[in-house]
This record gives sequence, structure tokens and C-alpha cells, in this order.
Amino acid sequence: MKSSERAAVVVGAVALVLIAGVSAGHALAAAGGLGELVAEGEEWWKSSPDPREPVACATCHHDRNETRGWAASFPKYRPLPPPEGRVMTLLQANAEAVRRHYGLADPERPALAITAYLISRGIGVPVSPGIVAGQPAFEDRLRALDESVGRGEQLFAGRCLSCHAPRAVAGATLLFLRTADGQVESLEGFLGRHRPERPPLGWDGQSTADIIAFLMSWFAGQLVGGSPEYSP
Amino acid sequence: MVNAVRSALLALWLFTAPLGADAATVITGMVRTQGGQPLPGLTLLEKGEIHNNRWDRGALVDASGRFRIELAEGGQYGLHVYSNGYIYKPTAVKVETGKTLEVRVELVPEPTRANDPVIKRVEFVSTETGKGKALIRMEVSDPNGDLGPQVLAFNTATGRAFAMAPPRWVWSLKSNYPNGVYQLEVDTPHSPPNPRDWHFTVADHKCNTTDILSFPHQPTPSQVVR
Repeated sequence: MKSSERAAVVVGAVALVLIAGVSAGHALAAAGGLGELVAEGEEWWKSSPDPREPVACATCHHDRNETRGWAASFPKYRPLPPPEGRVMTLLQANAEAVRRHYGLADPERPALAITAYLISRGIGVPVSPGIVAGQPAFEDRLRALDESVGRGEQLFAGRCLSCHAPRAVAGATLLFLRTADGQVESLEGFLGRHRPERPPLGWDGQSTADIIAFLMSWFAGQLVGGSPEYSP
Repeated sequence: MVNAVRSALLALWLFTAPLGADAATVITGMVRTQGGQPLPGLTLLEKGEIHNNRWDRGALVDASGRFRIELAEGGQYGLHVYSNGYIYKPTAVKVETGKTLEVRVELVPEPTRANDPVIKRVEFVSTETGKGKALIRMEVSDPNGDLGPQVLAFNTATGRAFAMAPPRWVWSLKSNYPNGVYQLEVDTPHSPPNPRDWHFTVADHKCNTTDILSFPHQPTPSQVVR
């Protein structure tokens, strides 16, 4: 593999992780781990945990072409009923959906698994935060994403810039991918506990989405799923 | 030669300018099952961002699965399509003023109707203050207690869609809405509302949806589509 191709794979892998908010480090280090998470996500996607409420994600979102572009389109504005609409990462959006539709009090693990599954479905799709291929672009949503990127830049300047240059953070993020205490860790989770002397960022909070939106704004056009671990 | 050019320009203006200026802004579409069978039903629009609960226009979907909604202006809308026994489908759409947006909607059956909200009764009453106003009351319950804001009424005569007011104040659109009697006050400047014009549907937060209740507004048990 040429160095340029290797670099493209590396950048793609970072983009994958940033989009998903999933640290694929565990899977990248141990073959099969990510596959297990994807398989678990597919189960959550296709089956409701409550047999009395059998409507699952796949019941309505059964069109594989429809869902293929989702991972690449995050972070983006999720039009929840006002005033709750906001920019979210894919993990956050999945958490909101499983909390509401599946009635789960702690949605993080199924959301993480579904996120891994949706990324596996979107391999090779160019990263395009805020835009899903084949769907109209809504100006207000893109404006909200721009504002999120702006807030993320300010947060990055306040929390990260003293140690990490924005352009260099891609590499740092790549190094950061890991299994922490035997757990697959999401980027949201990492940001939430990084620099514990600072006020914490919740993994599902707006500030976390803003920072990731800022980081992702450097990756538009890269491909989802550069990691060979996502190959069948 | 000059006259010929003038005539050509005049003809061009006559045939293009009025059409362009007066072209309707329309959302039209086709509703089908996954197997391609046309589905009748109801389609309602929110004006602006989807899920904002600001209901605007609507149309019945005919037996061939077709609908057409003419709009006052272009912009962003939340298109919701309902059909008896199927999970309703919400889609954010954008239509340009003077243009027609054609959409295709595919609905999937509800696997169970046990969780559907239930419309118990509908009544049309005159308000005590009387003139020009009428009140529509609809009693709604939900077996799982997770009703959402989609307690909806549609008037075919005017093409207007409405969210009915809940029996008590609700904290937010994501809150679970209460069971009870929902109300809609309608302007009726010329004559009382014609019940034949009114259609109703209710959905909960998990997309479980009642059948569309049309005149004579006598609820019947809902059936699973096989």
C-alpha cells in the first residue's frame, strides 16, 4: 500500500470514529470486537426489546438505501419537537431514539451498538455533516450546524487548544482510539471525562456535539468506514 | 421585421409570463404499500420544521393512493401520511414557490394495534357565545399513556389541518399528553360546521396511530393489516 493510500485509510478511520462518536479502538486492536458490536447493533436495529411494543428501528427505516447515508451526515440538526431540536452526533441521536421508542432508561449501550451498525452500513459514503445524499438541504438546519461548529471552535479553544492544535488533533484522536478499562469508549464518552478538573461534558450534551461538529468540519468529503475492520 | 419581433415577444409574454406568475405551489404524491398497492388515507402538513406541531394544510389520499395539496407559499414543510393499519410516515420536504413537488410515500403495517390510541367519541357543539364559532370535542385515550401532540383534525372543505387542544396544560411537545376530551374551536361565520367535512386521527409518541375517523364518526375496532 502506498503511503498516500495508507494515509487515506487512516484519515477515513478517524472520520469514521468521529462521525460515530464510537471509539473503534477496541475493535481495531482486536479483530472481531467491532464485528460483535455491529452484530449487536443490528439486533437492536431489527428487534424491539419489548415484545408488547414490537415496532423496531427497522420497521420504519427498512430501506437500506435510506439508512446508508445516515452515518456520514452527522453531526447534524435533529428536528425534535421544539425546543428540543438541536445538533447531535449519531450516538446522541440514536440514544434519543432508543430512549423514546424502546423506553430505555439507560440508552448508551444500545445506542453505541446501533451507531456501530449504521457506520457499517455507510462505509464508503463521503462525510457530509448536515446533509444526507438525495434529501433536500434545509437552510435553518445548516445554519444551526454552522452555529454548533462555531461554539465547538470556542469550546475547543477554551478546553483543548492549550495542548492540541486543531489540525493536529486528528492524529491525536487517532492515537486516542483505545479500549479503556476493557470497555469500548465513544468519543463522546472520552470528551466527557477528559480533563476532569474542568466542568464535565456529558456524553449526550450539546457541548460535546459542538466540539465534535467542529472537529468533523475538517473532514467533509472523507469516506466513512476507512477501517479494514469494517470489511465483511 | 420589427413587427414580427414584437409579435413574437408579445406571444412569448402571453404564453409564459402569466403561467409563471400564477403557477400554483403544490405538493402531490402517491402512497403505496411496500408491495406497491395504492393506499387511501390522509396527508397533513406542518408549516416550517417538521414536528413543530404548527399544522397548516392537508388532503385526503384517494383510493388510487394519490393526493394533492395546494399551498399559499413555498418553503419547508413536515409531511405526515396516515392510512388505516399503517405506521404513519413523517417526512421533511421543501417546495419552491410556483413549483410542484412530487413525493412517493411507502407505508408499513403496524405489527399490532394493541398500543394504538383510541378515539372514543366526537361531537360538534355550538358555543354559548354563539355566533361564528363552533366547538369540536373528541375524547381520546391511550393504553400506554404516551399520547403525543398529534391529536389532529382535518377539514376537507377548507383544506385546513389542526392540532386539537388538550384537556389540560402540557409541559412540552415531548411530554406525554393526557387522556380526555380534546377541543377545537372553529370559525363558522356563515353556517355551522358540516360534520361530513371533518376527519380525525391521533398518534402517540411511538407512532402508534388510530384509524382515520370520518363521518359519521363512529369508532370501530382497529384491525391489523395482514
